Amino acid sequence: MRILRNLARRKLRTTLTVVGITIGIWALVVMSSMANKIGALVDGGSSYFADKIIVSDSANLAFGFSSAPIRVSVAADIEAIDGVDVTVPEVDMLLDPDRSGPAFNIPDRIVASMAGADKGREKFPIKAALGRLLVPEDEGKNVVVLGSDLGRKFNKKPGERMTVRGIEFEVVGILEPTLSAPDTSVWIPLAAGQALLLETLPDVMQREFKASELASSITVYPDPGVDIPALAKTIEQRVPRTQSLTGAEFDEQVGSAIAIFNAIILGVALISLVVGGLSVINTMAMSVAERTREIGVKRAIGATRARIVREVVTEAGVIGLFGGTLGLVLGAVVVLAANEAGRSSGTILFQLTAGTAIFAVVFAVILGMLAGLIPAITAARLDPVEAIRYE
Amino acid sequence: MPLIDAMDVHKTYRLGRSNVVRALQGVNMSLESGEMVAIMGPSGCGKSTLMHIVGLLQPPSTNGTKPVLKYRERDMTTLSDRERTRIRATEMGFVFQAFNLVSTLNAVENVALAAEYAGQPKPKAKASALDALGLVGLAERAGHRPMELSGGEQQRVAIARALVNRPGLILADEPTGNLDSANSKEVMELLRRFNREQKQTILLVTHDPEVGKACSRIITMRDGKVTAV
Ligand SMILES: Nc1ncnc2c1ncn2[C@@H]1O[C@H](COP(=O)(O)OP(=O)(O)OP(=O)(O)O)[C@@H](O)[C@H]1O
Ligand SMILES: [Mg+2]
Repeated sequence: MRILRNLARRKLRTTLTVVGITIGIWALVVMSSMANKIGALVDGGSSYFADKIIVSDSANLAFGFSSAPIRVSVAADIEAIDGVDVTVPEVDMLLDPDRSGPAFNIPDRIVASMAGADKGREKFPIKAALGRLLVPEDEGKNVVVLGSDLGRKFNKKPGERMTVRGIEFEVVGILEPTLSAPDTSVWIPLAAGQALLLETLPDVMQREFKASELASSITVYPDPGVDIPALAKTIEQRVPRTQSLTGAEFDEQVGSAIAIFNAIILGVALISLVVGGLSVINTMAMSVAERTREIGVKRAIGATRARIVREVVTEAGVIGLFGGTLGLVLGAVVVLAANEAGRSSGTILFQLTAGTAIFAVVFAVILGMLAGLIPAITAARLDPVEAIRYE
Repeated sequence: MPLIDAMDVHKTYRLGRSNVVRALQGVNMSLESGEMVAIMGPSGCGKSTLMHIVGLLQPPSTNGTKPVLKYRERDMTTLSDRERTRIRATEMGFVFQAFNLVSTLNAVENVALAAEYAGQPKPKAKASALDALGLVGLAERAGHRPMELSGGEQQRVAIARALVNRPGLILADEPTGNLDSANSKEVMELLRRFNREQKQTILLVTHDPEVGKACSRIITMRDGKVTAV
């Protein structure tokens, strides 16, 4: 209470200082929420790729949205190699063919494979929230299962129809959210995917290939206990025109991108630390100067130096608490509003976790207290006699 | 046994290489328990400086001399800041010319502050503060902020604050200096009553001969020295 009354002495100044911290914490909350979301995507990818090797045509530059197709027959060559357990040909492409180039969010994807072809090796947990997953009997039919974000984006339920790249499909299931890539993917049977893939190829190739000969990549499940990087190398050497990607390589590629993003967040945190901290130092230094005589009187009647320090530091901490709480509330509003707006288009960019929320407020309080420490020590060092004479 | 014993106390301010102010030049004084003593003298003669040294707000200068400063026989010249603060909090009370109440706190909170500094827990400090406000006749003003009190009332709150820990010594620097004669009289009557009824030792500084007369003894100073006791 006494602290609030002290802060209320200079309402405008206190408010401005609180606003300074609010802005910093707001930025921190928003950026961290984005980092959380991206982190979840990466963790999902990381655990998906951990136990397998993805083999694609060596003409593809980077892994991901393969453009050069690979022959399905390659799967048999790979399976002949020692240490390979199961191979699954997959078609993988962008849902929206007009979308190209890098973008800020993860693009929607089409994934096609034969249900059950992995022989139970795929461990990535995917469950249907509505309807069902694909089954082997779906092969040859135009049916589709939607990731949870896309179910909402297209507002589809099992039984309804949906056009995928110009072809009509029947929706049979909607997935539960995974907070990672599957949320923004659609699953179709392999044959349907191969037909779509053929459409994307240049005319020359369309005439040369049959749809059923094509895949985007081959997913390789190694035998248990096999050295995965070594097996990946063997595949590249023994099967012509192939390149492979392992979980370790995925982590490496994506890890460096994440490191850049985390550096940006750290930068925001540092800027908010410096700006917020300086404004707290400034405010508390002014407030100490204004209260010189009062501090002198308190020292005269028996306040210890430690008590004066505590008083000023607590006040600065309360400024931090207000700024931090306000920044968190504003940040949460922005994050929730942006997610709500993005829900219709399927682009959920933010994930505000309890950890981020607690960290933001604690960070603001500690920042305030640390910044308050410098003026607090000045206050505690005042000579009581001079402070009492001070006008 | 004197409550305060001061001998050969000097205070020198060095403002520059050749600009030296000798505020106190070898002061000797002592104060018996239960006395009420006024320090008088012209402006700038060192009254406040002496009071601040006796009140442990600043140490005497030690340029070549060996000053003695004893409180209840205890040597005060070698204490740390923390120890001096503790003695100020528990055994001394201060009254200032400009009242010097904390503007954001009401009367009872101002008085309770001194009790908290002396180590009382908050609820007990508040009870003691209400008692002390009762003694100066301001119980019904307990919730008022300094801005809402007259000068005389503010000074009575300050006296309650000085008194709340029942200190061995109350130091008052021109306690009536900012008051009209009616309020001066009231403040002096309060101080005299505490001196008489509670055997409270009081050392005050004043320019007012009336105030001086109300005390049991007058110490006269001139140019940093005591000239009459
Ligand atoms: N911090 C300081 N630096 C320099 N000189 C000082 C300082 N404090 C006091 N003095 C000087 O010491 C001398 C004694 O001052 P002091 O305040 O004790 O006088 P006083 O007797 O209380 O005067 P008044 O009756 O006007 O209050 C004065 O000349 C004053 O200018
Ligand atoms: Mg004076």
